[in-house]
Amino acid sequence: MKAIMGLECHVNLLSKSKLFCSSPTDYENYEPNEATCVTCLGYPGSKPVLNKKIVESALMVAKALNCEISPVMFFSRKSYFYPDMPKDFQITQYEIPIAKNGHLVINGKKIRIRRIQIEEDPGKLIHVGGGITNAQYVLIDYNRAGMPLIEVVTEPDFENVQEVREFLSKLQSILEHLEVYDPGKEASLRIDSNISLEGGERVEVKNITGFADVEKALSYEIVRQQNLVRMGMKIERETRHFDEATKTTAMVRKKETEEDYGYIFEPDLPQFTLPEKLIKSIDKQMPELPDARVKRFTKEYVIPENQSQIIVYTEKALADFFEACVKLFNKPGYISRWIVTDLLKVLNWNDITIKKSKVTPKLFTEFLKTMDKGEITERLGKELIKELVPAGKSVKELVKAKGISAKIDLESVVKQVIKENKKAVEDYKLGNEKAVQFLIGQVLRKTKATGDPNKIKELIKKLV
Amino acid sequence: MKLEKLSVKEFLSRARSGDIDVEDFTEHVLDNTKSIQKKYSPFITIVDKIQHPKKKGKLFGLPISVKDNICTKGIQTTAGSRVLEGYIPPFSATSVENAIEEGSVIIGKTAMDEFGFGTFSVNCAYGVPKNPLDSERSCGGSSGGASCITSDADFPHVALAESTGGSISCPAAFTGTVGLTPTYGLVSRWGLVDYANSLDKIGCIGKEVYDVALSLSIIAGNDPKDSTSLNVPKQDYTKFLKKDIRGMKIGVPKEYFGYVDDKIVKVVWDAIKKLEDLGATYKEVSLPHTKYALPSYYIIAVSEASTNLAKYAGMRYGLQQELKGNFDEYFSSVRSNGFGEEAKRRIILGTFARMAGYRDAYYLKALKVRTKMIDDFKKAFKQFDVLAAPTMPVVAPRFDEIEKLSPIENYMMDILTVAPNLAGIPMVSVPAGKVNGLPVGLHLMGDHLQEGRILQVASAFEKAG
Repeated sequence: MKAIMGLECHVNLLSKSKLFCSSPTDYENYEPNEATCVTCLGYPGSKPVLNKKIVESALMVAKALNCEISPVMFFSRKSYFYPDMPKDFQITQYEIPIAKNGHLVINGKKIRIRRIQIEEDPGKLIHVGGGITNAQYVLIDYNRAGMPLIEVVTEPDFENVQEVREFLSKLQSILEHLEVYDPGKEASLRIDSNISLEGGERVEVKNITGFADVEKALSYEIVRQQNLVRMGMKIERETRHFDEATKTTAMVRKKETEEDYGYIFEPDLPQFTLPEKLIKSIDKQMPELPDARVKRFTKEYVIPENQSQIIVYTEKALADFFEACVKLFNKPGYISRWIVTDLLKVLNWNDITIKKSKVTPKLFTEFLKTMDKGEITERLGKELIKELVPAGKSVKELVKAKGISAKIDLESVVKQVIKENKKAVEDYKLGNEKAVQFLIGQVLRKTKATGDPNKIKELIKKLV
Repeated sequence: MKLEKLSVKEFLSRARSGDIDVEDFTEHVLDNTKSIQKKYSPFITIVDKIQHPKKKGKLFGLPISVKDNICTKGIQTTAGSRVLEGYIPPFSATSVENAIEEGSVIIGKTAMDEFGFGTFSVNCAYGVPKNPLDSERSCGGSSGGASCITSDADFPHVALAESTGGSISCPAAFTGTVGLTPTYGLVSRWGLVDYANSLDKIGCIGKEVYDVALSLSIIAGNDPKDSTSLNVPKQDYTKFLKKDIRGMKIGVPKEYFGYVDDKIVKVVWDAIKKLEDLGATYKEVSLPHTKYALPSYYIIAVSEASTNLAKYAGMRYGLQQELKGNFDEYFSSVRSNGFGEEAKRRIILGTFARMAGYRDAYYLKALKVRTKMIDDFKKAFKQFDVLAAPTMPVVAPRFDEIEKLSPIENYMMDILTVAPNLAGIPMVSVPAGKVNGLPVGLHLMGDHLQEGRILQVASAFEKAG
């Protein structure tokens, strides 16, 4: 049974102030309910004023996702009664979203974007002593209320979890390249997904935060539905909530009780037309996007395309890191190979991003240069990088800490080994190739694996 | 010190010159206010202490009252509802700030129908204001407290009031005062507790046309905190009051006389003839969509109101109860106790009108009708400078008569005021004469931002006596 999936991606857009007021967005630096004002708390008499920066950011995203842009800005009220909403309605875009009918291509497949809308974030509920269904009491933090969001809604074009992952990875990379989004911020990307098996009813799964959980939630839901079908049971149209703790989904409501949001036009925000000049200026502001960057990397730096893709789509900071490294050490192929094979592995192992790690382009290129000169072996390099990433120390310091000198006088070591292994030297003289390997091994042991084996071999030949 | 019966104009000039000791004067005003409160209850809150003005502005020392749905920092603001009992706003409305900046002093917060839901100020959680001309009768609504204190105060005073569908014109007509409703967006709504945001307008009620013209000059103006605020420069509206009205073209919309008491019709026609005597010309005009104004007004107003009232749940501000049950149970209990009957009726009506399946037939249709209504007025104002009509179809009714009205009959009372309110055009109600000893209002309506013109006609009419 084929699965069909569509996504609603809620992205927190970067801005100094919230969507409709001047409260700060760096709410993590505030006590609960302190990063608020009368507007984002919905006090009687307060009114919203639209943050223009967010409109510009949303327009950039719309362009990057190949959307038709609506020149008319128009907001609606979506009513639903829940304590995380200070006004018990959300200001969103319903009738006229800022953009629609776009697409994003992943691995040659077009994922259609139905619409992009600007809306405000609700506050955060903290369920104490249980989950959403059985908490003893609930605390509310409105610091997040009124944070600027865009919702990117796709058509149900995904057939498997792999496609969803690739889409989200690319979307995230685009958002980063547009500099409208910070993947490091708490809950900066939240997903609702519609999942159905071919011919079955549609199930909506809400409240999925972050990449790893998207895969878990969708995989869980697909298996759950497949099991129902296998057992001969019907899949019902319903809304399910993803539980972060157990990584499972639980039913919150059936179709019959689905909410009616009673949309009205937002009367506090008059409709207005975006000046043509503004829309045009957005074109000029558009930076190089990930796809173009991958092409450029492949061509300009002559590196394999799959390496360009990994470097660009993993994180914008990694692509920036790569280019900074190339500037310091003009061997792009060497750099990209080490990033893709070893650096990423170590970053993943430490569960950090390049941005948060202590590796700088300077440290990394010095490390590569040391290897390139043959001062340390690649084998040692693979060991040292495991320490370089978390410690952020220079290769010299690391080598020193291991009790070896980076600049070892290989010649004297080889002389010593020749003196100590007369039998092997004799064998070598008689033309035994194995003996030379033994001698090289002895040199490497003494130098704690620094030094290029080829160089050692040459030295042995010369000195015997 | 005896409170002299001074006009606002006279008082301000004497206060500024130092002829009147403002601090002493306003303390006496407060005493006087309290005795009026005992008789007619126009207030929900009377201030404990007058905040004396810091500098000599254009309203230096002038006592003002503020309708209770307009936020006043540090003074309880309930919008006439139990659900906001005890709510002390942390900020003031822009209009209030402007008035205070010019030296006026707040004496209290005036009674009103809960959230503005009513025509007679009988849907009040804190006591019904009584008409000083006959205490068995209504002051009109929803700004009933504002018209009550304006009518009875024998000291200079202006009331800041608010209209959604006629809540300034109606009480002005019933109490023989002057009520000015400005163009939608001319006065900032920042700090106004929302009834129906696309209709709400802060205006004022005074004893004389000069009083409202002066007050509007102070409270009008662009405000970046209200996105619907119009970007028009401030101006002095009193300058229009000196002009005569010779050559002014007055339209008389014939649809506005159909449901009106014959005696009122006569008073209003006499008033129009008087305007003719003053040099204006008049002609009848048709506003064909008038009959759709009432249903479309109520649909839009209750739809918006039902969303605005969702936030009153006993959690963030206002009425609180003992925490019992889950949050849905708690919120329902607070809302059941906090809202009056009319508020509940409008929440239910409004929620219905915007639900899937009904939204197209009611809410969206009403918005389309509203556009037609605006076209009617725009067409008329190509021909005429001002439209003149009766303000209300009846004189101030007795409370026992109001009790007998069904909700629909009640809503029908707004039939003359809802159309200009829907269109967002400015209007002023001036006393035109009396029927059975009770005042009748002449309603003068102008095109958007033509406050000057309607005030000019109102002033000429007032001066002619």
